[in-house]
Amino acid sequence: MLALMPVIVLAHNISGANASFVQELSGAAPVPFMYLGAKHMVTGYDHILYLLGVVFFLGRFRDVLIYVTLFTLGHSITLTGGVLLNLSVNAYLVDMVIGLSVAYKAFENIGGFKQVFGVEPGARIAVFVFGLCHGLGLATKVQQLSLSSENLLSNMLSFNVGVELGQASALTIIVVILLQWRRRSAFQRHGFIANMLLMSAGFVLAGYQFAGYLWN
Amino acid sequence: MQTTESTGAAPQPRRAKILLATLMALCAAVLILVALVLPAEFDRDPLGVGEALGIRGLSRQPQLERVRDEKTGYRGEAVTFELLPFEFVEYKYRLHEGGTMLYSWSATAEVVFDFHGEPDAGPEGFAESYRLGKADGENGAFTAPYGGIHGWFWENRGTHPVTVTLTTSGFYSAALQFRDGLVSEKTINEEAAPGAAPD
Repeated sequence: MLALMPVIVLAHNISGANASFVQELSGAAPVPFMYLGAKHMVTGYDHILYLLGVVFFLGRFRDVLIYVTLFTLGHSITLTGGVLLNLSVNAYLVDMVIGLSVAYKAFENIGGFKQVFGVEPGARIAVFVFGLCHGLGLATKVQQLSLSSENLLSNMLSFNVGVELGQASALTIIVVILLQWRRRSAFQRHGFIANMLLMSAGFVLAGYQFAGYLWN
Repeated sequence: MQTTESTGAAPQPRRAKILLATLMALCAAVLILVALVLPAEFDRDPLGVGEALGIRGLSRQPQLERVRDEKTGYRGEAVTFELLPFEFVEYKYRLHEGGTMLYSWSATAEVVFDFHGEPDAGPEGFAESYRLGKADGENGAFTAPYGGIHGWFWENRGTHPVTVTLTTSGFYSAALQFRDGLVSEKTINEEAAPGAAPD
């Protein structure tokens, strides 16, 4: 637990040294921004947990593709729009919603909405809407870098491409592990418990961010 | 069985089981937050668990070091330079890494200055500028980023003679003057420090 803490503190924001490095860059810098985007995605456990939730019960490659495309579309819209329109949203509150998106997806995965509330909100719509939220979170991270207005578009697009590359690599690992897991007979039982843990992790992330909003 | 892609089939768990699981997930999250995350990350410990586990205040910002001990002695001096039009002088102090000095210089007219340092370990002729510009004075505190010589270049670009007066105190061991192609080094006695306690 103690060893994990520094990771928790460092993982979410683009760290000081990286930030001051890109601030000193002038002009278009595709590779550094792509790297930062990919790094943010791969080390951003909130995005990773959400993706895990999304693909958890998707057995067919076609479905994985549809859901991930919807998510990508959602976060690209708000990442691009948020940065270009200079929308400022509180980073803690956005990250809290991202944490809640993890819990939402896990609750959906165990059939919560259908069994408890008797309604099943569209899973595809939800993944798109939460994609929009995740993109807003990404936009706040890019804005924290206080980029100069010149080459903003190109640098932000590079960041976005990096995010997708990072997402693709993380997803590959997740899907491969799930494929192995799904072959086991106990997958359904494990899946229920795993989604319960996922939900709990989502609540922890949301609470952590809300506390940050209150006290940081 | 449903054909929706959101589930990989299998019987849907019962309502009570889902509610129980959700409640457990929420309780576990609250417990983790209150017992671990809040004490460790936010220095808030409503249950006292963080204190008991010794993780409270794990992310407290380290206090800025207010007092730092120095090995070498405290020295100080005041020097003046007369600069004819287009004359220049360099005056630097030998400071060890982390060594601090306070400085204040003023000139009777605006001069071009370059406050810079040359590391002992650096390549021949290497210099790093800390402050550059045109001014008739500067005050400040300086902590040497590396062992070497650190100081000022002043040049009179005007048409009248200028007097530059420099007052420093700090933990340097020597001063070097570069003028008219000559280098002179002088050691400064600790006793010379202004305000040093008399014997």
